[in-house]
Amino acid sequence: MSNKGVRNLFIFGSLFFFVILLGLTFDTMSRIDKRAPEITEEVDQGKRLWHKYDCIGCHTILGNGSYFAPDLTKTTANKPVSYIKKFLVNPRKVNPRASMPVLGITEEEAEKIVAFLDWISKVDTNGWPPEPVLAAVPQAMAGGAAVYQKYDCSACHMIGGVGGTSGPDLTHVASRQPDPEWHRRHLVDPASVVPDSAMPPFAHLSEEELNQLVDYLLTLK
Amino acid sequence: MKYKSQKIAQDFYTFAVLLFFVQIAVGIIAAFQFIWPDFFILNFNTVRTLHINALVVWLLTGLMGATYFVVPEESQSELWSIPLARFQFWATVVAVTVVVVGYIWMGLNPQANKFVFGTTLLNEGREYIEAPRWADLLIALSVILFLFNNFMTMYKSRRWTGIQGTLLGGLTFLTLMYLPGMFYTKSMVKDQFWWWWVVHLWVEGSWEVIAGALLAFMLMKVTNAPRHVLERWMYIEVALVLFTGILGLGHHYYWIGTPRYWLWVGGIFSALEPIPLLLMVWDAFRVTREHRVVSNRLGLFYAVAHAIFNFVGAGLWGVIHTLPMVNKWTHGTQITTAHGHLAFYGAYVLLVVSMIYITLPLIRGATEFNTSRGYRSFWWMTISMIFIVLTITGAGMVQTYMERLLGLDYVTVKANYNLWFWVFRAIFGFGFLYGVFLFVVDFFKLGKEPVEVPVKVASETTT
Repeated sequence: MSNKGVRNLFIFGSLFFFVILLGLTFDTMSRIDKRAPEITEEVDQGKRLWHKYDCIGCHTILGNGSYFAPDLTKTTANKPVSYIKKFLVNPRKVNPRASMPVLGITEEEAEKIVAFLDWISKVDTNGWPPEPVLAAVPQAMAGGAAVYQKYDCSACHMIGGVGGTSGPDLTHVASRQPDPEWHRRHLVDPASVVPDSAMPPFAHLSEEELNQLVDYLLTLK
Repeated sequence: MKYKSQKIAQDFYTFAVLLFFVQIAVGIIAAFQFIWPDFFILNFNTVRTLHINALVVWLLTGLMGATYFVVPEESQSELWSIPLARFQFWATVVAVTVVVVGYIWMGLNPQANKFVFGTTLLNEGREYIEAPRWADLLIALSVILFLFNNFMTMYKSRRWTGIQGTLLGGLTFLTLMYLPGMFYTKSMVKDQFWWWWVVHLWVEGSWEVIAGALLAFMLMKVTNAPRHVLERWMYIEVALVLFTGILGLGHHYYWIGTPRYWLWVGGIFSALEPIPLLLMVWDAFRVTREHRVVSNRLGLFYAVAHAIFNFVGAGLWGVIHTLPMVNKWTHGTQITTAHGHLAFYGAYVLLVVSMIYITLPLIRGATEFNTSRGYRSFWWMTISMIFIVLTITGAGMVQTYMERLLGLDYVTVKANYNLWFWVFRAIFGFGFLYGVFLFVVDFFKLGKEPVEVPVKVASETTT
């Protein structure tokens, strides 16, 4: 083939593939909104704040961004909303080990950002992020350990290296706080014993569940 | 240098080289922040914005400089307007400086990034294209002036060579692909969809076309290989780049809320993306083998290294995690960071550096120059980069296993299990910085210091 021939192949071949891309783009644009909840005014304002504070400079969202801080695609599905709101305003006040600085986010702004994050968590992402397939399958647990699991305490707390880092590590919690009454009050209304606590109240636990959970926590020495 | 207007390339190179050094210096700060988040007065997001924006801007200004050299050479005429090129240079420097000051200001006071006319004043908050909208317009204007000047040079001379045609074509495509990043969408899914048009169609589309054209130019310059053969292979390479790369865009649309068919489109086409890059390596080796009379050995060395590391970084390190069944686990992990580092280094850093080593001696009228520092710089940079990439790849593998498969917490994995990877990465960062320092020194001294007499190791025996 002559040079002119390969040149034309380059130009018209590339245009061909670009036209296919345009077609797919057109089709995708007509489908995107159906794969996510409606975008309310609050969600849009939350997204604008996402840009204002350059959140993507540290975090990823939908897996794209900076890999320096946790991915925020499923935040509201994994953490209590009340915690996220307090965290955004002053991260280290609710989690002393947090790396995130105080950016000057107001409570009102935090509401909007949470609305945006909640919208993101409901986008159909073709199954991403996947469930961890090798995560230890909890043995048929009984008593307090089962309650701990039922209420997904490990979303925020860690025991023996497994669990989240949003709340305090509970591996040795009974050594720090051996008083069962304290634990009982803390679970029902965290702010009554820990001022400014970002933990949501677990007042909806049954009396039996509460007793079992406190007993379990007291074994963690 | 045949045409005095080619000298303008040197200004662009100077700015690029200085920004390169800044990019690596802030990169080291960012590396330390992985170990110690409060290490620096600016938060990580600002430091990273500076790191990646300095990268994009210095590569672009480097490519602009290279173009200002190539187009007069290929057109066999002076540039259409030197004052316009000079104006475009200074406008770029001023705009970039103002944007950087804005980033730092926002870093010190996040509330300064106010909404003005519905858009943010200092930082758009979108990765790689953080520059605010007003700066987008200035950047677009600068690039249009640049394209116009080069196009007029070609038009006036009526000498359309394949190399400069492809180069200008790549640059025009680059300019057009900046536009999808310049509007606001309420949906984050659509936001990322268009954002990838910019980012992907730049680095895996138009920039690779530019790389193909410049590789052909460099091989022709240093080996005197015949133009028609080089241009034929160039066309085949850039054609395959776009045939695979345009729909390879699909590998960014697996998990962001776009339809499922992208898994097929992205999977198939992006698996083919390394092929043209491998062809470029073969092309560079073929030319080097067939044409033994080399006028600039260091320049050729860098050009061949560019072809190799383009293939390894952009090709191999990309293809390892590009298939949907792999990417499902690795998406959003440090594996991507590792790929990003080696791809940018191989495909574009070495491209601009090799263009500088091939054209700068001609601009300065140096028939020969000391190459020792250039080689040392190469080995410091390349060995350091290989280890940086290996540490981040290791971190990514640990992260994928512990976070994605075992379900451990992101923060735990980053702070505990990956700590040593961050420490090693920072150490190799200093090695890379030293390599860049040698390159910067070499850039300013090239052709301006006395040439050392080559030392003969063994005297020829006479009988």
